[in-house]
Amino acid sequence: MAPPNRTARVAVLASSVQRSRSDRHPSRARSAAVRRTVLVLLVLLALALLTISFRSPTSGALHDVQGYGASALRPFQVAADRVARPFRDAYNYVDGLTSAKAENAKLRAELKTWHELALANLAASKQNGTFKRMLHYEGGPTFPSGYRAVNASVISFPSGPFDNQLAISAGSHSGIVAYAPVVDAYGNLIGHVASAGPTTSRVMLISDPESAFAAVDLTTKVTGLVRDGQGNTLILDRVPKEASVRQGDVIVTEGTRNALYPDIYPYGVPVGQVISVGTSDIASFLTVQVAPFAQLGSLDSVAVLVRKP
Amino acid sequence: MTIADGLKAAALLFVAAIVQVSIFTQVHVFGGVPDVLLVTLVAVSLLRGTIVGASGGFFAGLLVDTARLGELGLTSLVLTLAGYWIGRYGETTGRDRAHAPFLSVAVVTVLYSFGLLLVHFVLGEPAPAGAMLRGLVPSIVMNLVLAAPVYAVVRRLLRPLERADLATEVQLLG
Repeated sequence: MAPPNRTARVAVLASSVQRSRSDRHPSRARSAAVRRTVLVLLVLLALALLTISFRSPTSGALHDVQGYGASALRPFQVAADRVARPFRDAYNYVDGLTSAKAENAKLRAELKTWHELALANLAASKQNGTFKRMLHYEGGPTFPSGYRAVNASVISFPSGPFDNQLAISAGSHSGIVAYAPVVDAYGNLIGHVASAGPTTSRVMLISDPESAFAAVDLTTKVTGLVRDGQGNTLILDRVPKEASVRQGDVIVTEGTRNALYPDIYPYGVPVGQVISVGTSDIASFLTVQVAPFAQLGSLDSVAVLVRKP
Repeated sequence: MTIADGLKAAALLFVAAIVQVSIFTQVHVFGGVPDVLLVTLVAVSLLRGTIVGASGGFFAGLLVDTARLGELGLTSLVLTLAGYWIGRYGETTGRDRAHAPFLSVAVVTVLYSFGLLLVHFVLGEPAPAGAMLRGLVPSIVMNLVLAAPVYAVVRRLLRPLERADLATEVQLLG
């Protein structure tokens, strides 16, 4: 029995009158069932797509469909990029002005150093050509003369910490194949083609945790394995503690050392500059931190290196 | 939910996905990236409920995965769950609450980031939790800044449904 101060409405709520489950709110029960069915179907479909895509990331019917889908979306992405470009250019212009003076002084000092180096390199290069002719030296494809550059614009950028890949606006129709090296406008290494669609390709950046490649210190000829590092840096790994690597040394790709296991990158593609060298008593190798030459976070266009026949 | 409403929601999510992939992914502030697609999905889900939220999340995710040439279904999976959950919140507790879009955006940004982290981890792909956590607060702040204008635009295009059209769990008798 309900207490006297309770309202009639609450009394109804508290009543023990039972209704059958089926006719209580049939439309709402149906709506809940439809809602849950839709969710389960969509989740299962997403899992199925994920499984197929994960098992065959570079080939297969789904990969082809995705390639054509990306091609169909490209005009919309280009249109969006054109709308945003004036704003981005304005921001970059203002940002550039704030640091222009300091950058100018730094670049003048660098220009002097590079000019001296270029003259020395020119002399060495001529001498090298003479030696090669005398020795009848047979070399593999070299960078950049052994490759044709396919220039492409970047149509999608890394979206966050999970993503270190780009989509570019050229694919297999332009001769691009998986594992082709990719460089920026100055010839600095960016990464390689992870998969190629008909008119678009996916590029894995050298900052991707799954990327690792052999590289060499141009000054000391010390070799190591370049992989991703903290922040926007790379690590030259597997460098023995007794090896000599100095701050400021230039790191380039090592290329193929064993013909049985060809490297995807040719010899001599610039990677970056050593910014710090450290070690500890318990470490087996040096910790060599490398700043990449390429601005991996702000790429507008890239060049894919396709090997000349 | 009419066909016109469905088309409007699809158009909104399509535009948001293209803008996100082409423009917003380049905006990195203190390690965070604004996500206009997630914010648009939250607004659509709040105004149109679970089924539209889940379906919208699935197809918007598919668009993103296709445009980025990433693993198909990865973003779809997380956005489907996000759309469903926000839709449910909009149908029940969150309806008619002024703070609902902001609360939803903040919570779903966190859940979406952890969801992506979990899926990448399960797939054996790189899942840098430290980098994700460092960028989380800036991402929440930027998404909250986007929430008000995006919700206003979506609400203008998709007028809120009558209360009778919304699914509810609680029904008073008598």
